[in-house]
Amino acid sequence: MKHLALVTLLSAAACLHGQEPPPVQPLPVKKPATDAKVWGALVFATNDDAEAAAMPKVDVPAEFADIPARLGKVFEWKRYEVIGQHLQDVFREYESWVVPTKDLFLKVDSKGPAEGGGMNLHLQFWRDQQVLVKTDAVLKAESPLFIAGPKWRQGRLLFVLVLQKGR
Amino acid sequence: MNTPPEDYELLRWLDGEMNDAEQDAFEARLAADPSLQAEAALMKRLSSDLRSHLPAEMPVPYADFFNSQIQVRLAQDENVQPSPAVSGGWFGWLRLPWLTTAFATAALVLAGLVAWQNSTTAGGDELVHSIYVPKAGVQARSFHSKDARATVLVLDGLEDMPADRKIVGFNISHGEVDEALAATTLFDDHGRAVAVMSKDARNQPLLLTTTNPRG
Repeated sequence: MKHLALVTLLSAAACLHGQEPPPVQPLPVKKPATDAKVWGALVFATNDDAEAAAMPKVDVPAEFADIPARLGKVFEWKRYEVIGQHLQDVFREYESWVVPTKDLFLKVDSKGPAEGGGMNLHLQFWRDQQVLVKTDAVLKAESPLFIAGPKWRQGRLLFVLVLQKGR
Repeated sequence: MNTPPEDYELLRWLDGEMNDAEQDAFEARLAADPSLQAEAALMKRLSSDLRSHLPAEMPVPYADFFNSQIQVRLAQDENVQPSPAVSGGWFGWLRLPWLTTAFATAALVLAGLVAWQNSTTAGGDELVHSIYVPKAGVQARSFHSKDARATVLVLDGLEDMPADRKIVGFNISHGEVDEALAATTLFDDHGRAVAVMSKDARNQPLLLTTTNPRG
């Protein structure tokens, strides 16, 4: 893994010099135990069609395609555009990061399976190097977590965390 | 149990609270009283041992939150009659000023943790057990939306993201943790490393991207 990280950092350095990064060849490693898999996304909610249309398009997996519509049942914005997404294993013994954008991301610590289904999680919602909120919550596959974050331009940034089914 | 007067004098002497006249009188009594000398030596040794085993300063977790709790307690104390300065028996050494401060801090930390654990959420949403917002002026509330079948956590009072900030998303398919380096490398669909999440010296997240997402 040290080699992998070094290759990664070297790739970053190469990019800064305008070169195409070399392909990363992960070494065979023993993967740490995981408790679940989550999908995290940052969504821009706005009433401004032009602002929404200007967002780069993200291909959302079919199983999460209903999320914008579900957001519309909670919030009163007209448009919900997924800006970034991250599918991530939740490690049993290590912290997991869900980073759909560079600006807003989530730290996830597994607290084990929840009684009645789902996962007990400790979550920290970060904006750059400032933690906005810490919470202990149960995340169930059928009940995603929506976090209404800071306002941006004419709308608001929403963070979505979904527990993937079948894990 | 109240502290006997001689113990109180001893504590004041140890704490350096006496004026010159009081100190001369006490030290004269001390020189003439072997049992008082033994007690003074014991107290000094206890104090020294405690000082050597406890750090002079301890970082307070969630400092913003505890500062607010301390302010609340100070405001409450202004409305409370002062209690007798001395408390009990040979445990009077607990009254040493630095130790009192340490215990008061610990009590506030404990009270803060209890308050944090008990902070319930609006709407009685059983899926959110606790919420802690470190920044003053930010309010958090949670509820369950039956229509959306979702748990909702709303943060009000956050500083707006600057309108000219270009927010560009990642498309991360998985992340791998590096146990030795305590870092997580994030990969896209094509297996390319997009970013590395690590921690800085202050234990704050440090995100290194392989490309500049803002273009």
